[in-house]
Amino acid sequence: MKISGIQRQWWVGAVFFLLMLVLLFLEFYGKIFERGIGNYLKWQNASRPQLGRVWDNDRQTILAQTKVESVRSLFDSRQESAEAIVTLKALFENTEPSFPLVLSRKKFLDLYYDFPGQWSARIISPFELISIDSKYNWTRVLLKRFGQWFTISFLDSHNIPVHEVFVATDALKEVQSTRTVKQGSLEKVGFDQDRVYSAAVFLPLLRTLDPKTQHAVFPNPRWFLAKDYSITRIGVRELEFSKKTLSDFEFGIEYNTDYYTGVLLIPVSQEIANNLLSQIERTGFDVWGEEFSALAAPPVGDKP
Amino acid sequence: MIRYLIERIVFAFYVLTLLGVFIGLGSYFLLSRDLPQLPDDLRKINLSLSTEIYSAEGERLKVLGQRYPVPLEDISPNFINAIIAAEDASFYRHKGLDHRALMRALYMNIRERKILQGGSTITQQLSKNLFFSFERNWVRKIKELLISFQLEATFSKQKILEAYCNQIYFGNGAYGVEEAAQTYFRKRAQDLTVLQGAVLAGLPNSPNSTNPFKNYQRSMRRAEYILMRMVKENFISSEEKSEALSSPLELIRAREDDNPNRYFINYVLAKLESKYGQEFVHFGGLKVFTTLNTRLQEFAHMSALSHLEVLEGKMTRGLPEKKIQVGMVSIENQSGAVRVMLGGRNYSNSQFNRAVSNNRLPGSSFKPFVYLTAMERNGYNPASIVKDEPIIIEIPGTEPWEPKNFSDNYAGDIILKKALMKSLNSISAKLIQEVSPESVIKSARQFGITSPLGNNLSLALGTSGTSPLEMASAYSTIANLGIFNEPYFIERIEDFKGNPLYENFYHGVQNYSPKSIYPLLNMMQGVIDSGTGRIVRQMGFKHPAGGKTGTTNNFKDSWFNGFTKTFSTSVWVGYDDNEPMVDQSNKGLTGASAAAPIWAFYMDKALKGKNQIKFPIPEGIKFEKVDVYTGTLADNQSMETMNVALKEETVILPRAAEPSIAERDPSGLSTTSELTNVPNP
Repeated sequence: MKISGIQRQWWVGAVFFLLMLVLLFLEFYGKIFERGIGNYLKWQNASRPQLGRVWDNDRQTILAQTKVESVRSLFDSRQESAEAIVTLKALFENTEPSFPLVLSRKKFLDLYYDFPGQWSARIISPFELISIDSKYNWTRVLLKRFGQWFTISFLDSHNIPVHEVFVATDALKEVQSTRTVKQGSLEKVGFDQDRVYSAAVFLPLLRTLDPKTQHAVFPNPRWFLAKDYSITRIGVRELEFSKKTLSDFEFGIEYNTDYYTGVLLIPVSQEIANNLLSQIERTGFDVWGEEFSALAAPPVGDKP
Repeated sequence: MIRYLIERIVFAFYVLTLLGVFIGLGSYFLLSRDLPQLPDDLRKINLSLSTEIYSAEGERLKVLGQRYPVPLEDISPNFINAIIAAEDASFYRHKGLDHRALMRALYMNIRERKILQGGSTITQQLSKNLFFSFERNWVRKIKELLISFQLEATFSKQKILEAYCNQIYFGNGAYGVEEAAQTYFRKRAQDLTVLQGAVLAGLPNSPNSTNPFKNYQRSMRRAEYILMRMVKENFISSEEKSEALSSPLELIRAREDDNPNRYFINYVLAKLESKYGQEFVHFGGLKVFTTLNTRLQEFAHMSALSHLEVLEGKMTRGLPEKKIQVGMVSIENQSGAVRVMLGGRNYSNSQFNRAVSNNRLPGSSFKPFVYLTAMERNGYNPASIVKDEPIIIEIPGTEPWEPKNFSDNYAGDIILKKALMKSLNSISAKLIQEVSPESVIKSARQFGITSPLGNNLSLALGTSGTSPLEMASAYSTIANLGIFNEPYFIERIEDFKGNPLYENFYHGVQNYSPKSIYPLLNMMQGVIDSGTGRIVRQMGFKHPAGGKTGTTNNFKDSWFNGFTKTFSTSVWVGYDDNEPMVDQSNKGLTGASAAAPIWAFYMDKALKGKNQIKFPIPEGIKFEKVDVYTGTLADNQSMETMNVALKEETVILPRAAEPSIAERDPSGLSTTSELTNVPNP
């Protein structure tokens, strides 16, 4: 067999051989082969996949941090939602069997004393609270729901319950528990203008009532005074049939704050409502030595 | 002819060269798809957040995946020179591939027809450590080589060496030279001597066989070889080599991984991993605050070891490697916090956690659940008279069951409290037959026993496996007068910034009324005060306590479970292979002789200096002194009397007047009823 190309062009072979020699020389002294591949790989590094142990660790770290973030945000959101609760009743209502609520001592006491009525004191007596406080150093409260019961656990700094109070879920159905607050004037929350009376009429009448009725229709005045709320008017309305589960009538106590007008809604029994209405509506009668005049609503809304 | 030959050689050279080029290019394109990307900074590879585990007292128990990377300047030149001499003498000359070393390895591998040598440079080893498996094959080897070329093209020699020194494994759990220096010599990597550097440099190649802790001679031979290489590479002179060899190595004592806390830590980690996933635990940078009390754990460990050594001195078995094992759990009653978990006597010898394993039978320590079921469901009370006698229980479809008392002696009529104190098997068998195994299982579940329980009569004698953790938790329910606290191990978890991720809240459930549990509690106090567990009192333990012993057939398992107002503790003792524990006088080890002393030692230490707290007596409980053999109110005819705690509505009758002949039972049978003194309806 003849290899004519090589025979005819011997110099090609020589050049090739020389080239090989040069390459070997460069490889031996300059590591040209390793450098070339190394630099080529370096050049296209970014386009290659992130494989191997180092990247696995990296990925797992990212995964772990994502999970840590999600666990933390869930934890935070639970805490925030507990701290965002504005009434004691809402606190109980937001306690699901699978999600106990934890709130700070301050928040619990704020809600406890902020309830516009005697209901909070009926659930836990303030004397019981002060007795717990005198014996133990409690920092937080854990609220759990189990069947027909709520458990209020007073926790020390190690999360150990130092005292527990059990409250039946039926307590949420008591008339007193349903007191709520709404923003807006009496008319806006659904009271008829002809059943709206001036505070000047109502408050003197309130003073003449026996303590039990007073508690039934009005919170402790501290509730208004401490918040700097000024009472303006009082309204009475009969509840719609669908809402007449616990009471028939509802009192609305309108007040002005620095920023808005609000109404405290207090459900009352028919007997109390009739009794009060009959006294208020003695037309033209100067009940407490002052002229009964104002059925018309005073100006409401934001104060300047 | 010569010309023809030259032509052929040249041709072959062409072909081979082209073939080489094509094979090279082909394999590159084939493999390059799987080549990993390199990080832009090699220091990043050591950046991962480590998870820390803390005890209840705030002591750091373990750090997961912690590395101690150090810059090259903080590594002794003695080590750097040694590792270069040992692993890659031409490190500063090559660009990722050492031709000579590769040829040598290639030759050896082809000759032996298997991969014996790698001829790997330091860069190649780093490449393998960072990206590839440790499986030996050609494809992996080529990829590793290509990446080492890139490493050389991207990073300086100093950076590569630094990453290598901080990555490699030195045996004994030490990764990186800093940790290795601490592990073997308790010093910083920058302070290593020539000899120490040589010893450490000999480790990465074979971390086990040249480990100075395990094989000092081989390790020194390897160090000598490395010193010789250092001389050859002009890192040291021959004199310095001789000097190094005659210098002291200052090897410290091996850090034995026999820390008894490891059982608890591993259990907690496994729980966390199953709840949140492995990456969350190992890469989350968490701070896990556990319930473990290391002081109590140490007490438990010492109590177990010292007593087991005494027991082993009396044993007939001669095999020293077969040790009597122990499983122990101590729970704080008020909260359910697990303060002690001892899974075995030595973690380094056996990592099997006997404290949570439910493969051992509780024996008589299961009886309280049978007694409580009988008292709750069938109106028994601690003063009810039961007849202790040999019994045969017919079981359809199988052999009759003949439960025997431990001593094979029978007491006849006896009150329930005394029966429990003496741990009479015949009584438990009668009770379970009466109340049914299903109801006993239901009761046990209320106490927090979660292991599968056999629905059969022998359950009364503890023939279904439970763990010390379950038993401690169940006995804690008795100490808590019916409140079951789910045992827990983690107080809270924080992320690395200290933000809370989890916190435990007490979860007590009143499964039994205090009035129902107190009579049982009082009976179990009797076990310790003058029953089968009286050794606890004989050992000087004075705190008010209740408990129950347990010994299984042929002395395979010994248990003692007991509680004070503060702690409930369960102790199991036995051989792993289920062999009987019999001493030289052919006497078997019982719950009282093997497990109760450990319990007493531990509890005594745990409660040292603490007030002796009595169990509160719940409302609706009264105490009566009764005749042990008639169950009637104690009187001057009583041979033996005993105080029993009873529900207020239970009426204990005085001894009936001697009946006249006419009033006597004409059949002449015993007038003893198994249900005397039942509560009034």
